[in-house]
Amino acid sequence: MKLILTHTHELPAGVLGLAVTADGSHAFAACADGTLVAVDTATGGAETFEARHRSFASGCALLPDGRTIISGGYDGMLLWHDVETRRCVRRVQAHRFWNWQLALSPDGSRLATATGQYLAGGWKYEPAEETEPSVKVYDTFTGDLVAAFRHTPPVLSCAFSPVGQRLAAANMMGEVRVWNLPSGADDKPAAQWTSPDFTSWGTIKTHHYCGGIYGLAFSPDGTSLLGCGMGPMTDPMAGNGKMTWQRWNWQKGERMDQIKDGQHGSGLMETVAWHPDGKHFIMAGRQAQGTWNAAVFSAADGSLVHSMDTKQRITHARFTSEGQSVILSGAIGQPKRIGDLWPPWGRLQIYRLDA
Amino acid sequence: MGADDQRGIFNDAVMMNCESSDLPPGQCRTDEHRLHRRLFLKGLTGGALATVSSFSGLFHNRVFAEATKKAQKHCILLWLCGAPSQFETWDPKPGRPSGGPFGSIPTKIPGVRISSLMPKCAGIADTLNIVRSMKTAQTEHLQAITLLQRGNPERAGFTRPTLGSALSQAMGQLDSPIPNFIFLDPIPGGNEFETFKAGNWAGWLGAEHAPVRLGGDYTQFLNAATQTIPQHDRESRETLRKFLTAKYERDRKSGVARSQNAAFERMKGLAASADLFDVNKLPAKDRERYGPGSFAQHSLMARNLVEHGAPFVMVANGMNWDNHVFQHEIHQMLVPELDRVLFHLIRDLEERGLLDSTLVIAMGEFGRTPWMNPARGRDHYPNAWSMMMTGCGLKRGVVIGATDADGVDVIEKPYNEQNLFATIFTALGIDPFGEYDLPGMPTFHRVEDKAEPIRDLLA
Repeated sequence: MKLILTHTHELPAGVLGLAVTADGSHAFAACADGTLVAVDTATGGAETFEARHRSFASGCALLPDGRTIISGGYDGMLLWHDVETRRCVRRVQAHRFWNWQLALSPDGSRLATATGQYLAGGWKYEPAEETEPSVKVYDTFTGDLVAAFRHTPPVLSCAFSPVGQRLAAANMMGEVRVWNLPSGADDKPAAQWTSPDFTSWGTIKTHHYCGGIYGLAFSPDGTSLLGCGMGPMTDPMAGNGKMTWQRWNWQKGERMDQIKDGQHGSGLMETVAWHPDGKHFIMAGRQAQGTWNAAVFSAADGSLVHSMDTKQRITHARFTSEGQSVILSGAIGQPKRIGDLWPPWGRLQIYRLDA
Repeated sequence: MGADDQRGIFNDAVMMNCESSDLPPGQCRTDEHRLHRRLFLKGLTGGALATVSSFSGLFHNRVFAEATKKAQKHCILLWLCGAPSQFETWDPKPGRPSGGPFGSIPTKIPGVRISSLMPKCAGIADTLNIVRSMKTAQTEHLQAITLLQRGNPERAGFTRPTLGSALSQAMGQLDSPIPNFIFLDPIPGGNEFETFKAGNWAGWLGAEHAPVRLGGDYTQFLNAATQTIPQHDRESRETLRKFLTAKYERDRKSGVARSQNAAFERMKGLAASADLFDVNKLPAKDRERYGPGSFAQHSLMARNLVEHGAPFVMVANGMNWDNHVFQHEIHQMLVPELDRVLFHLIRDLEERGLLDSTLVIAMGEFGRTPWMNPARGRDHYPNAWSMMMTGCGLKRGVVIGATDADGVDVIEKPYNEQNLFATIFTALGIDPFGEYDLPGMPTFHRVEDKAEPIRDLLA
């Protein structure tokens, strides 16, 4: 499997969230200037939705009917937008802090949103306990809160299982919790484990934590869960930890596989996505050192199949439903202001899959 | 005698200032120095110079100088090493491409907003002073740390004392059991800061004005020594040490030995004050208020030390503000801690009647870029950055200087490290242009080039 770049489109601000129509003809970009932008993937034609977040827009999810898209932001808000009119039809204050990531259930009826501020909880800057539920689930039709789950903040990523019966969420400390849906009276996880391989605590330069599991994805058969991020660093602000994915049997909380030695560079990996055929998955992010920042792996043995250097930070990867192309969102380093103008730094890239 | 060999013998150096209208700033005739120094030592300068209307003339007034010395002044430097972002602290630009994800909130000063990460400081903004127009020249940590710790550009071959060392000499008491320069930092490393830490802090002032480093694991040895060595052994060792060092000092006429000896004596006093450096001995309620992180706990310790007479305490936490990666993800934790620490520290000092005699400074070595790099970080930016200082000798509730809409450039009242140091010395009642007494060396002043203090801040 090979990825061939067909289009690159520029957007004014870094793209932190991405949704794609089933046929891949349109992408929706949640951007660092708070906007949600609809992009024609063939022409690059872009239209900005009317409402914007008061901070970075961090994620978006397109409902299956294609008529409503929900965006989340670092203002803690969820905004329901009408795709056709570009108008905002509902606002819900989901969190007091950031929405780090959104996940949409396969049937489109539920939207999960993860939050949490990293605050010092101990001498070594262990994260403090949450002050609000770190994971919430909303009814996408009514906007009602239908479930709330406890976790240790910040919770960076979340994902639904293929039939929507499970919700997984992972945090900065590499702790993954999986809950059954609908949840019972308590929010006790059905499974819970911690991987130490995604989190740094500085032994030089500084003493605090950073990193975590930035992307999660259940395998199409629902038996395993993929997580991605960056390996531990002695200097947590060097950004040069090992590009990392791990695959777990989520019911046992046991690691099944992980990225192979010699097949990775260094840098934060922010997204994992399964190809619809379930035989491959893609992981992408930022390259600090190495030769690639986006790569396709074999689900069978975890080996690297194809890799590429996109020359930009990748925040999300979305396959089209037929699996014939993949759309990557991201950002370059924000260029310096020229006169009174800030050059565009958001990017969308469209790749065709060549089997 | 090499410059680096000359430190120890100037420990009793007195400061003089020169008034010379026909020479460029910072350049004075040598004979004038001698004259002033001699006059000062004889205690004759007060009357002679009382009519000098300049600022520095005050310091030639013996009555003024003595009165100043009577009231012990203190300084707490919260050294935010690595350099915090001005956008996420004192100079937010919400809604601008440079603004980042955090909003701004109003403060107690009408029309002034600071980062939404600092609600506690917003509530006491009328007690703080914010400088939003720092503009310095060094873009790399080691050089910038050196610049902002020593207050003047480097001159090859000579090591200028750091702020703490200069204040140790100017405000400290040599017979005090509490060190005049205490440096609390739990982290042995720190990349470029580690390099700086390994260097010569006191410069030409000598080892007795170097910091005593404590905090974290560094504090443990205070008790460890007394626990592991029996009393009679300690006394024997002390007698032997005194004999040998006195002999060495006498035989070699070594200023270095004298400096080291003085430092050792200070350490003995320090060991006797070990409880002051034990976090666990601090009141539990205070510890809870300041917060659990090591920086917060050491800031509380700094307050406690000042209450017990310490002239200068510097608190750092490695180089934790250098967020080239995960800028917002780390600042979301660091800034609230700083907010809480400043709030409680300043309120505590105020409630104890110490704020008028204690200068509190919170700053790093530069700011962060208005633009984000691809690793979610902000990089080094000395062109336009912010810092906070309040307390002794300063007004309250002043916001000085301004940057443009995006925080790219200073558009009003740029200040550099010399202006800053001139302000610090002046606020503490110390002549900023005082000349170091360094026979055989070029003329050095606390602040060179007659750089103006930030007068809008001075009380």
